[in-house]
Parts: sequence; C-alpha cells; structure tokens
Amino acid sequence: MEPIIEVRNLSKVFKSRGRRITAVDDVSFDVFNGEIFSMIGPNGAGKSTTFAMMTTLIKPTGGKIKVAGFDAENEDDRIRPIIGIVPQKLSLYPDLTARENLELMGNLYDVPKKVMEERIEYYLKLVNLENHADRFTGGFSGGMKQRLSVISAVIHDPQIIFWDEPTTGLDPQTRQAIWKLARKFNSEGKTLIFSTHYMDEADKLCDRVAVMNAGKLMALDTPENLKKTTNSATLEDVFIHLTGEEIRD
Amino acid sequence: MDIKTEIRKSWIIMIKEFKQILRKKAFMIPLFLFPIVMIIFFGYGMGGTVKNVDILVINDDTGTASSALVQEIGTFIPKYGDVKMFSIIYTKDMGQSEAEKKIDAGLYKAVLIIPPDYSERVARNESVTLTLLTDSSDTTSSGIIISFMKQLFAGTSGSLVTLNIPDIYGKLQYIDFLTPAVIALTVFIGTIQTMGYAIAGERQDGTLVRIMMTPVSRGAVILGKTLHQLILQLARAVVLIIGAILLLGVKMNGSWLLVALVLIIFTFGAVGLGIAISAVSEDMISFQAISMLVAFPSMFATGVFYPLSSVPDWMRWIAYIVPLTYANDAMRTIMVKGQGLAFIANDLMILLFFAIFYFGLGVYLFRREAA
Repeated sequence: MEPIIEVRNLSKVFKSRGRRITAVDDVSFDVFNGEIFSMIGPNGAGKSTTFAMMTTLIKPTGGKIKVAGFDAENEDDRIRPIIGIVPQKLSLYPDLTARENLELMGNLYDVPKKVMEERIEYYLKLVNLENHADRFTGGFSGGMKQRLSVISAVIHDPQIIFWDEPTTGLDPQTRQAIWKLARKFNSEGKTLIFSTHYMDEADKLCDRVAVMNAGKLMALDTPENLKKTTNSATLEDVFIHLTGEEIRD
Repeated sequence: MDIKTEIRKSWIIMIKEFKQILRKKAFMIPLFLFPIVMIIFFGYGMGGTVKNVDILVINDDTGTASSALVQEIGTFIPKYGDVKMFSIIYTKDMGQSEAEKKIDAGLYKAVLIIPPDYSERVARNESVTLTLLTDSSDTTSSGIIISFMKQLFAGTSGSLVTLNIPDIYGKLQYIDFLTPAVIALTVFIGTIQTMGYAIAGERQDGTLVRIMMTPVSRGAVILGKTLHQLILQLARAVVLIIGAILLLGVKMNGSWLLVALVLIIFTFGAVGLGIAISAVSEDMISFQAISMLVAFPSMFATGVFYPLSSVPDWMRWIAYIVPLTYANDAMRTIMVKGQGLAFIANDLMILLFFAIFYFGLGVYLFRREAA
C-alpha cells in the first residue's frame, strides 16, 4: 500500500514558564492510503499534539510530515483542502442552524454552491438530522452535535479524515452510528485517522493501531499482531503492557 | 437537613466561591480598582470648575481698567481650588468672525473682546458692552466661564458693564455635548466587547480552532471580523444619532460622511485593541476583566461626561494617550460645531496612528498565538 501520510523523526517541544516539555519525541510512522489508522495512548502520550501537527495546526519542532506528498510545514495551504477534521471539542456555532454550520464549512472549503446543497441534503439524511436542518445547534444533544460535526468535516469530500476521540461521551447507539459512518467513509476510499481512549473502538474499527506513550511511539501494527506480539488477550492488555499501569496526569 | 448542616454546606459553597474568584487574578484587579478609579475620576472631573482654560482676550483698549480686568481674570483662583481658572493669551485687532474660527478650531474655550473705549467709559461711569464668545459645544465649561464672567462684572464694575454672549453654535444643552462622545464611547466599548466574543469566546468554544483548520488564512479571519465590526458599529452609530436627533432633539450640524470617516478609523483601532486583549486572555472572564481595565479610563478620563478643562493635569495626560479623547473631540467638532475636515485633521491623524498601532499589535499577537 502507498503511504498517504509520512511522519519522520517528528518532535514537538513546548516552552512554558521556563520549562521545556517534550510532547512528541522522535516519532516516525506511515499511514497508508485507504486504511483506518488509530492512535492510542494514555493522557499526555502526545496523540493530540501529533494530530495537531499532521493537520497543520501547529508546526513541529523537528522532523517532517508529508500529507499526500505535501510538506505539512510549508504547504499547509495544499493540505488543508484535502483533509477533514472532526475535533474532540464539538466546534459548532450554537446560534447557527445545522444547515448554516454546514454551509459555513462548505464555503470555507470552496465547495460549489450546487454541489454543497446536494451534499448537505445527502449527509443530513445519512446522519438522521434532516428534520433538524433548520434548528439552532445550541439545542442539539451531544449525539446530534457529534453527527453534525462529522458531516461538517466531510462536506468538502476530503481524502483523509482526522477524528479526535470520535465517540467520547456518546451512548452505545450513537457510537454504533459513528462507527458505521466511519466504515462508510472508508469504503468510499477515504483514509481515516483516529485518536481514541476506547480500546474496543480501535480493535473493531481500525486496520492498524499506533500505541504512544510519553511522546514516543511504542508499537505500530494491526490489532491482532499487537495482541500476538505482546501475548495479550485484548487490546486493553496490549495498552497496559506497552504503557504501564501508573495513572497519568 | 437541620439548620446546622445547612449552614455548614453554605459555608462550603462560600469557600469554593472564594477559592474560584481569588484564583482569577485578572478579575480581582478591577473588582477593587474600579470603585477607586470611579471616585477619583468623578471626584476630579465633576468638580464644577475649570482649570487653566485657554482664553483669548482681544484687547483694543490701552487703558488701565482693561489691564486690571485682564489681570483679575488671569490670576483668579477658585475658593476651593489651587489652580488658576484661566490661562490668558492676549491679542488685538482681531474681528469677531476670526475669533469664532479660533474657537471652531478648538484653540480657545472662550474669547473676550474688550472694546477700544472700555477704560474711558468705565472711568466716566458710562455703560460699556464686552463680547464673550464661548465654545458652547462644551456646555459645561462654557456655562462655568459665563457664570464666572457675569459674577465678575456684577462685582467689580457695577451694572454698567454688560456682556454680549452670542450663541455661536445655536442654543445647546448638555445632551448636545454628551451625545457625540457617548456614540464614540459606545462604538469603542462595543467593538472591544464583540471582538472579545468573536475571538476569546470562539477560542473558548473551540470554533476558532475549527475555522483555523480550514483553508482560510489568519488574515482573512481578522479581515472578516474587522469588516463585520465596521459595518455593525457604523450602523449602530447611525441609529444612535438618528435616535438622539428625533427623540432628544440633539443637533447634527456637520457631515455624516465625516462622522463615518472618524468612526471607521476609530473602529479599526478598537478592533485591533480587542484582538490584542483577546490574544492575551486565557478565557472570557479574563478578557472581560482586562477589557474593563481599558474601558474604564477611556470612559472617565477622556471627557465623555465632563470637559477635560475641568480635570487636573494628571488626568489630562491620561486623556492624551487614550484614542477616545480624539474621537470625542472630532465627533463634537463635526456634530456640534458643524466643522469640516480641516478642523478635525489633527484628531484624525492621531486616531490613524492609534489605529495602525493597535491593529498591528492585535494582528501580531494573534499570529504569535498560532506560532
């Protein structure tokens, strides 16, 4: 398989009140075109920082990232149109309707008006929000917001979708619906990159899983291979095996 | 629950509230500072007198009576004050229309015209009329000066000396003085507050980051928010001015276009200041606290509610470094005095400087935040 994302010797150091905090420490990996890739790790492992660098939101301190052949540091304007991002914090405008939120994103991504209208109708139907299209999202439930957030990230038909903790705080029905959506997008040829704390999610959904701890990449393989190599029954056991049992801050 | 438990739990809640508020340092400062600032500013600003106000005396009389009169005006110190009320500049051979132009330009708060035969007439106990022109766009100072002059002539030269006080800007009231500055103040505070919600608020909600992840530059985000502010604040100003004219009888003697020009430049600066405060604020509470620290001196030290001529020198120095002072002056010059571009050119230049400085600072801090 062809890599669509290449991460090489990536590092990120934050400076705060005279202290240097290494959030990501010499990490290298590839994400292949068309796969569902997951990053797992305890709090402070460096997943979100790696995500932020891959999505061009922050610049690395060292190393390189290439997304679809473009350099993340210098060609962010080429990368942003081809990626979709579902942030952990559901970033919807509460005083805009669902449709207006989608239109805003579509317009920022330069989606042609007619195409955008068709996609909005299609996606709202896909996530069962077609009857709430003209309601303000401030009154939406967590599940509704998550579904809307997902479709607002794909309104421009991106090649790659970054999905930060997609099902945190959602009920089982919504989680199932989100997984179904993820598989659907993947079946359309899109590459999905997750960050998650749910091991069952990574196990059931993902082709390959990267385990991070304290800014380093501890392992990267398919869920089955990770279980085999660590002699673990579940991915949770793999996680504990690779990252330890102590509670992180 | 018994009353003891109720009180204990109330105590726990109270302690929690204190812990939270004490940890918001940015919130604590204005909490205690504002009342002190208000007392100082209002106490000095509304003292009912003026200090070192520039008065032009056109004295075409060479006699001793006029010299004595001018000396008395120039050395007068109010009973409960320690500073001279007037700073006198002398001239002669200047007509009333030229003197009015000096007031239009904001050079003097008043002009006293002493006729050439003043001393002679006073010596002969004949009636004589002096002309007093005042900058009635500043109704407070104007009222104080007129009152002083009337008392002076009633006390010193009997009733034979009379004052001719033409209304050079028509009949004006305090509201005519207040309205242009309140509009500028409203635009200033409104812009900063809404920019706070637009940046610090959006950052807190996560929507700003979401926008930044799309193919949109930071410049475009700033420009979009700035254009929104310009349109919003201009619309507000138009509604406020029309409302003040229709409901309160406020006069609009000048050009709407000039008002728009002043407000556009002023709003640019306020947008930049709002962005800068947003960029250094952790959250909305911090933003509001810091923005109040900026808004309060602007509100009370810049002559919105009382003239700068009535405040002590240290307050005037604060006023000189706050852009609202120049916006107030320009707005009053246009709306009350009905003057044109030439008379507000200085104010516009200073506002432009502030706008470039604050906007540059805001953009720099907003970009640095991303880095």
